[in-house]
Amino acid sequence: MVSDLIIGMAGSGGDGIVSAGDALIATAAEAGYYAMLTKSFGSQIRGGESSCRLRVATGPVQNPGGVLAIAVALNWEDFGRFGLELPVGPRTLLIHEAKSGARPLNVRLAIAAPIEELSVSAAGTPRAKNSVVLGLLAGWAGFDAGRLLDRLRKKLGRKGEEVLAANERAFAAGLDFARGRPVSEEFRLGPPAADARPRVIRDGNEVCASAALFAGCQFFGGYPITPATEIMQILQKEIWKHGGALLQAEDEIAGIGAAIGASFAGKKAMTATSGPGLSLKTEMLGLASAAELPLVCVDVQRGGPSTGMPTKREQSDLFAAVFSAHGDSVRPVLAPTCVADTFTVTLDAFNIAEAYQTPVLVLSDQEIAQRKEAMDPLSTEGLKVVDRRRPTPEELQHYVRFAATDTGVSPISQPGMPGGAYLAAGIEHDESGAPSSSGQVHARMNDKRLRKLDPLKRRSDLFRVEGPDDATLGLIAWGSVAGICREALGLAAAEGLKVKLLVPRLLYPVAEEIFEAFFASLRTCLVVEQSQQGQFHRILRMWTEVPAEFFSLAESGANPITPADVLARLRAFSTHDSLPVQRLPQRPQADLVSRMR
Amino acid sequence: MCRALAAVGRPPHEIAFVSGIGCSSRIPGYSTAYGFNTVHGRALPIAQGIKMANPELLVLVAGGDGDGFSIGGGHIPHAVRRNLDLTYLVMDNHIYGLTKGQLSPTTHRGAKTASSSFGSFEQPVNPLLYMLAYGAGFVAQGVPGDINGLASLIEEAIRYPGFAYVNIQSPCVTFGEEADQAKAQRLAMRPLADEGHDPGDRLRAMDLARGYGEVLHTGVFYRNPEPPPVWEGRIRELQEAAL
Repeated sequence: MVSDLIIGMAGSGGDGIVSAGDALIATAAEAGYYAMLTKSFGSQIRGGESSCRLRVATGPVQNPGGVLAIAVALNWEDFGRFGLELPVGPRTLLIHEAKSGARPLNVRLAIAAPIEELSVSAAGTPRAKNSVVLGLLAGWAGFDAGRLLDRLRKKLGRKGEEVLAANERAFAAGLDFARGRPVSEEFRLGPPAADARPRVIRDGNEVCASAALFAGCQFFGGYPITPATEIMQILQKEIWKHGGALLQAEDEIAGIGAAIGASFAGKKAMTATSGPGLSLKTEMLGLASAAELPLVCVDVQRGGPSTGMPTKREQSDLFAAVFSAHGDSVRPVLAPTCVADTFTVTLDAFNIAEAYQTPVLVLSDQEIAQRKEAMDPLSTEGLKVVDRRRPTPEELQHYVRFAATDTGVSPISQPGMPGGAYLAAGIEHDESGAPSSSGQVHARMNDKRLRKLDPLKRRSDLFRVEGPDDATLGLIAWGSVAGICREALGLAAAEGLKVKLLVPRLLYPVAEEIFEAFFASLRTCLVVEQSQQGQFHRILRMWTEVPAEFFSLAESGANPITPADVLARLRAFSTHDSLPVQRLPQRPQADLVSRMR
Repeated sequence: MCRALAAVGRPPHEIAFVSGIGCSSRIPGYSTAYGFNTVHGRALPIAQGIKMANPELLVLVAGGDGDGFSIGGGHIPHAVRRNLDLTYLVMDNHIYGLTKGQLSPTTHRGAKTASSSFGSFEQPVNPLLYMLAYGAGFVAQGVPGDINGLASLIEEAIRYPGFAYVNIQSPCVTFGEEADQAKAQRLAMRPLADEGHDPGDRLRAMDLARGYGEVLHTGVFYRNPEPPPVWEGRIRELQEAAL
């Protein structure tokens, strides 16, 4: 029996593969396992191919994992479309639809299961194939049959007794088939940890929305876009209870515009989007910077450029997050690393936006946003909510909206506040808010808007370092890739490799000192991320003195990066003849930083 | 503007005056109210966010014909159909003044401007007809040459409970044509009241609005006699229902 099991399934849309995945994760969570469910589709709404991966373990699950322990193919065409998203290997148990015929794949064991036939004979319809699959997995992988049946009843109860009974028979047929053909224990999940409690199931968009409400968000303006829409859909049910309001605007620009208006009116405000929407919103991000208005903009990244791949993970909006909007506009950019992390990072984004009167960009990604995690319930204990600094009655006697202060943060009034009237503007203005085209004023105000963010660079709580301090091998990863590297770190340590890992939640402004302190012991550093250019790798080279050997492991979106990939790279570093440890005054040569594969 | 606001009597700190970019969009900076001089074409969405966040505020939106009907044109029908209690004032001078005299969406056909040396080939938009067709509850037109008339139109627009639009035929003294200047406007203006127009008659209003660009009608084209509920009222309902 194993403590960590990875299952991948693919079929046509309508086969119910994804709802089978939902049933499995719900069952696992109830039994006290940790789990992660990722779904992948073609971008058609109906039909087309669909798949899911479920990783179940007795301890916390960091990432969806690599090669599948159990693969289920309802037909080869759809299975094949997911390519590297559903990799099989010499240790995989491959269960495939018998009538599709065998394929010469290098796997441990291939079982031709008559899934459709079992469905038709037991349920009278091929539409119960997913229930057959659940039966098979209950038999082979050790999912609790009783719990799975309860799940089926909950899910199908409202479809009528006939449908339910048919599916129960299909489930039993699958289970019987599996019991009649036992497989090795290496595909069977061991019991959950002795102290296991039921886990809760959450996805990133859901957690983002609850964090926004916890932070005091009272306005959301947005526009539907995959894979960010759920944030708006959840808030439109909830935000009113918090005295807030929500606008589904006519376009992305109006969505962020309304949020900026609400922020000007004194409310904590938010918008959420994905790549194409971020492109449209950029002028407004500049306005929020210039007018020093707090705003949270969540970008759930997907494959780009342009329409790209709306349903696939990528981390390629980093440059856009950091550099878009013209002029010397600077905004903090944060990234959560997992579903739970989305809560604290979203809360941090609101707190930073309010404290520093700035737009803040949260770079989530399709995987974190839409994957489900069976995890420990979120705790809000000890979490702080920050509000904007409002003027005191004395300050309102002679109110100066953009008053020069030591910190660069000035008290902010809002319409309705007597004595606080001022002109907010995208046009350059002096301390009073009066428009100005003086170079001196411009330099002063630019400096104010940049300087006020400096304290962020000392927020070491936004960075997590794991592994021995004096390691000479280093890893850096952000966003959903961090979980992959965390697992790779453990694998490396188990092999005796001395490696440390830095996971930043704050990507920009670049905290030079924190990165350089991490670099100090390093001979070699690898930045792992899901973009073709290795965008964070390049940003670090712009702002910090990087180690002599500073490599990038970067993959275009939708192509999995696995802990094994990272480990292989670390092994290669540990054995190659490398440059002596040194700090180069110039940037490293191009060939040193070129992609390694 | 000042006269209208004085007549309405709300203290300046309860007013949010929002504009886009253009000569006319400088106007919030000349008032003692809370102002927001935003970006080109986006005053309406920002104003809607303000009103939704705090429905107690008096929210005014101002801009020019380019700001409103060109770059910001896509926002207008949505602002109208949402029917928040906003007052939208467009200073329509048929030209881009701040960039020194280019073709605007309301420039008449054949006009030679800095960007149409051979005369404009385009049919101008008709802001009055647009607004009426989108379903605005209050649509009026005035000229600054008739300062009393204009002030009372703005006042009436502010008092109208819902989205209200005033098209102000505002002369560009630098790039405008002679016929658009204040003196000529005073001579050309044809008050709708003198023609016995009933502002409750939407179809007649649309008929009269077709004369935009040829006949300078001033006054109220349309005032919905039964104003529909405003959207911010629904916000309060939802918030109270949730409690």
